[in-house]
Amino acid sequence: MDGDPMSACIEIRGLSKVFASGKRRVVALADMGLEVADGEFVCLLGPSGCGKTTVLRIIAGLEPATGGEVLVHGKKVESAGPERGMVFQEFALFPWRTVRRNIEFGLEIRGVSEKARHELSSGLIELVGLKGFEDAHPDELSGGMRQRVGIARALANEPTVLLMDEPFGSLDAQTRNLMQKELLRIWSATRKTVLFVTHSVDEAVFLADRIVVMTARPGKVREIIPVSLPRPRDRTSAEFIAVRGRVLAELDEEFEKAREKELSPD
Amino acid sequence: MPRSSVLLARVKDAVVANWVKLVLGLVSVSIFIASWAIASLYLSESGSSLSPFVPGPKLVAEAFLSSFVDSVPGLTGIRMGDMIASSMIRIFWGFLLAMLVALPMGLAMGSFKTLESMGKPLVEVFRPIPPLAWVPVFLMVFKSFWGPIGIVFLGVFFPILLNVIFGVKSVDQRLVDAARTLGAKRSAVFTKVVMPAIVPYMMTGIKVGLGVGWMCIVAAEMMPIQSGTGVGYYVWLSADYSRYDFMYATMLVIGLLSILTTGVAELIEKRVSRWMGIR
Repeated sequence: MDGDPMSACIEIRGLSKVFASGKRRVVALADMGLEVADGEFVCLLGPSGCGKTTVLRIIAGLEPATGGEVLVHGKKVESAGPERGMVFQEFALFPWRTVRRNIEFGLEIRGVSEKARHELSSGLIELVGLKGFEDAHPDELSGGMRQRVGIARALANEPTVLLMDEPFGSLDAQTRNLMQKELLRIWSATRKTVLFVTHSVDEAVFLADRIVVMTARPGKVREIIPVSLPRPRDRTSAEFIAVRGRVLAELDEEFEKAREKELSPD
Repeated sequence: MPRSSVLLARVKDAVVANWVKLVLGLVSVSIFIASWAIASLYLSESGSSLSPFVPGPKLVAEAFLSSFVDSVPGLTGIRMGDMIASSMIRIFWGFLLAMLVALPMGLAMGSFKTLESMGKPLVEVFRPIPPLAWVPVFLMVFKSFWGPIGIVFLGVFFPILLNVIFGVKSVDQRLVDAARTLGAKRSAVFTKVVMPAIVPYMMTGIKVGLGVGWMCIVAAEMMPIQSGTGVGYYVWLSADYSRYDFMYATMLVIGLLSILTTGVAELIEKRVSRWMGIR
């Protein structure tokens, strides 16, 4: 994907974020920069507390940046908006709404007619494989199925960008692998730009066009590793394992740094 | 009829499933009634001055039944049915008014820090005052119908208000975030996330309020000159006429009514929760 003349979908420039509570100041991000091309699948990887989620929340417009800026299709991000869909780790489904009505939430907000809503949500229910569960409530669904709803709900607004915050982090290993395949299928059907936060190296190598390894706090980009393996990827292939090894090596150094920082008083 | 047979089968299942509890419950109730009968008999046999205050279970049961057809002997035109109706109407109005005021107030105070800071001192000053302390002035100012309603209002108002405020503050921030990324602005977050999220809290407030409401109404109706109707009035009147059998019968009625209304509230809560998909 290097040198590809595709237009930039997300541009992050000199992004910094400081969380201040009382006297304590935590620098979560310091001068982070990144460009994500249209239709690209990028994974953000880094030690915990490195600000991966914060980057995502700033792009989503849920959190203001302390410095720098984020542009999505050339437009500066100032607040949350339906063109940037988000999928949450804890699903964040509305428990009082059925599967269908969760998916239709954004459409309701935009004032789409009931008939059009129904058509759109039916298509999405089909796409994410939830047929037969339209009228179920979230608490009747398994974790994997809940996240299918989360993905469909984000897609309903036809966002250009899909921001995914460790979406499979709370699923068991089997479900997680299945959902990764499902996500790739949905991605190739919709061709959204995906920015995917994870702390699983395996997941990142399986999914991403490029893996962005972040530094320990304060977070910034340490290394960008392109993954040019054809999909579907075989986790047991020598190439897969080689990429995995390279990513792990980068990450290990940051883990080490994060650990040292934790042990030494600042 | 299939419907009633289904119901019958369900009752049968419930009885079978809970028969141990049922038997144990019956045992304790029987022991209570038997001791009561013995105590009453002993007091009347020994010619105790306490005897009139302890009529036997049989007398009270008879009074219970006849109170629905006759009035307290010596009085005409005062029947249990009318008393129940008038108390229920007061409870209803007190409840409705409390809801109409407490719900918007709770939503506003839960949503805006400024309003909470403004309202909190007032709430903290008035909440600990027992609603019954207001009985004399309310009866004088609002008279026999609206006076007790006002007392019920005060009793129900605070539980609902505090639960709604708590509910608004307990709204899952992740749901608010999700709504915002889906395009919801402040008003849509309020109507589509906050409002549904507080329903269970409101139901808790209502249930607590109901219990308080019954205590308030009975005491408020005991100002007989002003009140003139209601179950509380009936308790006072029976005692005034030394018909303690009728008095206890009315107390039994109050207990049953309270169980009934709480049961209805729980049923509504279950229905609402199921309808909303929250269990």
